[in-house]
Amino acid sequence: MTDENASPALVIERIFDAPAGLIWQMWTRPEHFKSWYGPEGAAIPVAKLDVRVGGTRFVCLEMPSPHGPMRMWFTGEYKEVVDNQRLVYTESISDEHGNIPTTSDTPAPDSHPITTEVRVELQDLGGRTKMVLTHAGIPEDSPGAIGWAMALDKLAAHAEAPDVR
Amino acid sequence: MPTATQEDRLSETFAALANSTRRAILAHLAKSAASVNELAEPFEMTLPAISKHIKVLERAGLVIRGQQAQFRPCALDAAPLEEIATWAEQYRPVWESRLDRMDEYVRQLLEAQPRERGTR
Repeated sequence: MTDENASPALVIERIFDAPAGLIWQMWTRPEHFKSWYGPEGAAIPVAKLDVRVGGTRFVCLEMPSPHGPMRMWFTGEYKEVVDNQRLVYTESISDEHGNIPTTSDTPAPDSHPITTEVRVELQDLGGRTKMVLTHAGIPEDSPGAIGWAMALDKLAAHAEAPDVR
Repeated sequence: MPTATQEDRLSETFAALANSTRRAILAHLAKSAASVNELAEPFEMTLPAISKHIKVLERAGLVIRGQQAQFRPCALDAAPLEEIATWAEQYRPVWESRLDRMDEYVRQLLEAQPRERGTR
């Protein structure tokens, strides 16, 4: 990569002035999740967060538009759940029943064939909490997007400096 | 936001990368260019099977092939990887503003229940 910050995954680090247990609830309790997740002006009428490995995530975003409220649905699966420490889930655009359009379907203009994976890692700093959020894209049949993206990161670094092993 | 064609190309790149053999091929090519024979060596695979993987990588623009008739060595082209990085970056402002709101909300909660934690 030419830019040393360029990574196939988005990584954001933040420190919150709150205990890890509370930050964990921001992601796992629907009533809290609904309060911050949507863009400004949006509402989250549905947030089903079955927070356990293999559990389903189903979220509806409702945004105002000149033609009335516009709803977008997202579904996914929890891949890793370690209370107050690590949450990994996938996310795809779906229909209102939670069905993901497959890439083999004729792609609608605003369909997004790519599944993404979000990883949230929390570190308790004694009343404060460090959060590392990683967001990467994956094709639907690939396991472990973020490990994959990180492997690519190394690969790209290799490509740039093949003599520095 | 990327255009539909860029999205198509991106999903092609993602799809090309969603295979451990192909990623291993890329890892090899990141160190040096190689012929198909050399690439096939570490894998228990037939040459046609390896060639098929290389064709997928070529279509995705991740591998370019030399023109020498006999060997046609393969080399890595990292440009599509940078496109993936750009794609990932477009989510940054979305997440930053979400986390701003989370921060704000958490502060409100803590102020409403000051006894839940010791100091502020």
